Amino acid sequence: MTRFFILALLLAVTSGACAQGVVEGTVTLTGRPMGPAPTSHYGLNAGRVAESPKQLAVVYLEVPGVKKTPPAKPVVMMQSGYQFAPGVLAVQTGTQVIFPNDDSDYHNVFSYSKAKRFDLGRFRKNETPPALILDKAGEVRLYCEIHQHMRGVILVLDTPHFATTDAEGRYRLAGVPAGTFQLNAWLSEKTTIMQEVTVTVGKTLRVDFSGLRTASSR
Amino acid sequence: MKRCFALLLLAAPALAVELLPRGWPVHASLSGRVDLESYLSDGAPPALLFSDDELFFNPRASLFADVHLGSHWYAFAQARFDRGFDPGLNAGGKGRLDEYLLRWTPFDTPVINVQAGKFATVFGNWVQRHLAWDNPFITAPLAYENVLIMTDRTAPAGAGGFLARRGRTDTKGTWLPVIWGPSYATGASIFGRVERFDYAFEVKNAGLSSRPSAWRADEVGFSAPTYSGRLGFRPDAAWNLGISGSTGAYMIGEPTPGLPAGSERDDYQQSTLGFDASYAHGHLQLWSEVILSRFEVPNVGNADSLSYFIEAKYKITESLFAALRWNQQFFDTVPDGAGGNATWESRILRIDAAVGYRLSRSLQLKLQYSYAHENSPAENAGHLLATQMTWRF
Repeated sequence: MTRFFILALLLAVTSGACAQGVVEGTVTLTGRPMGPAPTSHYGLNAGRVAESPKQLAVVYLEVPGVKKTPPAKPVVMMQSGYQFAPGVLAVQTGTQVIFPNDDSDYHNVFSYSKAKRFDLGRFRKNETPPALILDKAGEVRLYCEIHQHMRGVILVLDTPHFATTDAEGRYRLAGVPAGTFQLNAWLSEKTTIMQEVTVTVGKTLRVDFSGLRTASSR
Repeated sequence: MKRCFALLLLAAPALAVELLPRGWPVHASLSGRVDLESYLSDGAPPALLFSDDELFFNPRASLFADVHLGSHWYAFAQARFDRGFDPGLNAGGKGRLDEYLLRWTPFDTPVINVQAGKFATVFGNWVQRHLAWDNPFITAPLAYENVLIMTDRTAPAGAGGFLARRGRTDTKGTWLPVIWGPSYATGASIFGRVERFDYAFEVKNAGLSSRPSAWRADEVGFSAPTYSGRLGFRPDAAWNLGISGSTGAYMIGEPTPGLPAGSERDDYQQSTLGFDASYAHGHLQLWSEVILSRFEVPNVGNADSLSYFIEAKYKITESLFAALRWNQQFFDTVPDGAGGNATWESRILRIDAAVGYRLSRSLQLKLQYSYAHENSPAENAGHLLATQMTWRF
């Protein structure tokens, strides 16, 4: 009887662990740079300004009631070549983000976004980078007070199921629970494409966001 | 309606209207600024406030055009619509093209840049932050705006006439400061940055102290150029140290009335030497400049001055900042024409205090109080209260 119970328990745990699927696909990206051309009316930078990061998408699944502990390790939003790197970063609510400076000049990262309003002040390379805990879901648009062409965004999400696309727009969400959920593709502060999806245990669901023409946007 | 306007200001997506899609080889953008300023003084308005009113309102709209052709060519223009370059100079309102330039950067690094046009001087460290959004104050440091008894219009008949001006109230239409604001004179410059060093040299059509009307090449021409330069050293990101120099004729008009026989206006130069330092870390920023200037005054001699300021800005929160600036000017003696010497101007102390609040990335409010003390019977107002709202778009 005991042996049977253990076997049943093992079966239940194993089937629970496997009750997950994969969602993957592509998002059609504009390929546009996130920031404007660098302009300096009265001053000069120490080095060459890198190309502005290209706009990427963040795909995330809204799973009601499921919350995971945010990562214990801080996530990095670098300033390098007078640009934010990466240009788009997605994190779970409660994640600590650090902002190291890899340039020879100062940066002064700030945001006046509703999700987080802050000014990190001027900090240099090799200095202990300032850190923030992003405790409210939403978009945190990043700027540098000194280098006005710099643009970055941190998307703070209430779900652990998210992925940032690569430059070709590809994404993959693994370990997704089975069920019917809303899948979102965030492209910019004005555009999020939404689609209802049904995830099946052990299967890979392909969802392509081919642009605003075929999907609803908010 | 008022609420809608306020919401529009707060919600306006700063900044710049891009005229061509991002990523094109030609990038063109338009941005702008609206400044609403008011000045309240307890007497004759000080510095470069041209109005006689003790309460003066000064709206200003500025448009900035930036055009990049690839990564090596850049053009910039700044147009303003206001009540004068200096508040009250054209009380009825006027539009001007204050700055325009074409810049060539031959390499991918900033080691060499060559530009020509009408643009801000390379002298010192204040001019790089003179625009309303970047300046923690509403007014400029004393050396950049306090008018002296020096004039660019006529030569004094002698030391007596020159020194007699000290007892008069400021005659801003004919008198000059050490440096007139950002000094948008016309000319060309070469500048760059190599590792920890900066350099900049410029040839302009008018001197550092010249008034805005002299900055236009079509008004004054290039017959008496001014040469200016700055060498900078940055030991690390926190510090920026510089030494600046400038020399050139400061009088305008040919022939200049009252010059001694056989002399020309080019024989009388303004020579200026400046030392600047700035430091920043975290939420604190400090700036300082020491400026030594010599005017060669016809029929009088050399009139020397020493000006300095120390300025601090601290961000109390991400939106609120406070700033304090201590300014002083001292003046040497000139022969008084009666066998002795006399100090040619009244020394002055001014303390500026300001607070600012950024409501958004495009909207900023500032409040400034200034106290000035001058050892002169014709002292300007001792107290100045100024407000400024800046909206960037």
